[in-house]
Amino acid sequence: MKSLRSFKKSLWVYHFNSGSCNGCEIEIVAAITPRYDPERFGIRLVGSPRHADVMLVTGPVTRKMEPRLRRVYAQMPDPKMVVVVGVCGSSGSPFYESYNLVGPVDQVIPVDVYVPGCPPRPEGILYGVVKAVEKLEQLEGKA
Amino acid sequence: MALETALETGYGFWDPLVWILAVAIAAAVAYLIWRAGEEGYKRGTAQTEAFLSGNVQPEKGAIHVRAGNLYWGFLEALAQYYRRTVPVHTGVLNDYVLWFLGITALIIVIIGLMP
Ligand code: SF4
Repeated sequence: MKSLRSFKKSLWVYHFNSGSCNGCEIEIVAAITPRYDPERFGIRLVGSPRHADVMLVTGPVTRKMEPRLRRVYAQMPDPKMVVVVGVCGSSGSPFYESYNLVGPVDQVIPVDVYVPGCPPRPEGILYGVVKAVEKLEQLEGKA
Repeated sequence: MALETALETGYGFWDPLVWILAVAIAAAVAYLIWRAGEEGYKRGTAQTEAFLSGNVQPEKGAIHVRAGNLYWGFLEALAQYYRRTVPVHTGVLNDYVLWFLGITALIIVIIGLMP
């Protein structure tokens, strides 16, 4: 598969909370602090999915958030990647089989990268984003 | 310095070549800005809808300021007047003719009573 040597522009990331306990959010915020400083590579959190290349989804998907998750995903321009941060979004975790859950994120939208952990460490989240970049580069190389 | 093609107006000059050059530069700048935009959008899909935190985009009429909204203060100030007069405007022609005849009769009576 042909792959670009690098992604053509700064990678912008949008964060979506589909029902998380906020633990994963704290780690995402930790991942953008000066200690890790992903902005030096142009990677930054943005406030709108319409500007984003990658979406970080935290938490299992609650019934209230399901249509919103679908809509926000549909609003992202192509090519797009979804990174699930935390085991809640990957499997439902402690909330598995709850009456109020639609299921893990991949039951609602396509997922490209899973970052395990409850919550995952910032290094893990950044690793997941880097994996997403690799996949985006492959997609763009094919196009 | 005015060019050969320039027309001196007394207040300045008008030159079609300068005008064409300005339009060409503006078009080039606009093109560069347009080219820097996001190419990945697909027309006619959710990708071109406004982002409202994942909520459904309401009808255009429901979110825009309508012309009628400009009269809000006026209508509020004359609310007492409008509360009485708006129900009278039934839209039925018979009602309007009756009002017309009634008021005309009243005016004739008042004029007739005048010394
Ligand atoms: S994975 Fe853990 S920290 Fe993250 S939302 Fe679930 S329970 Fe909270």
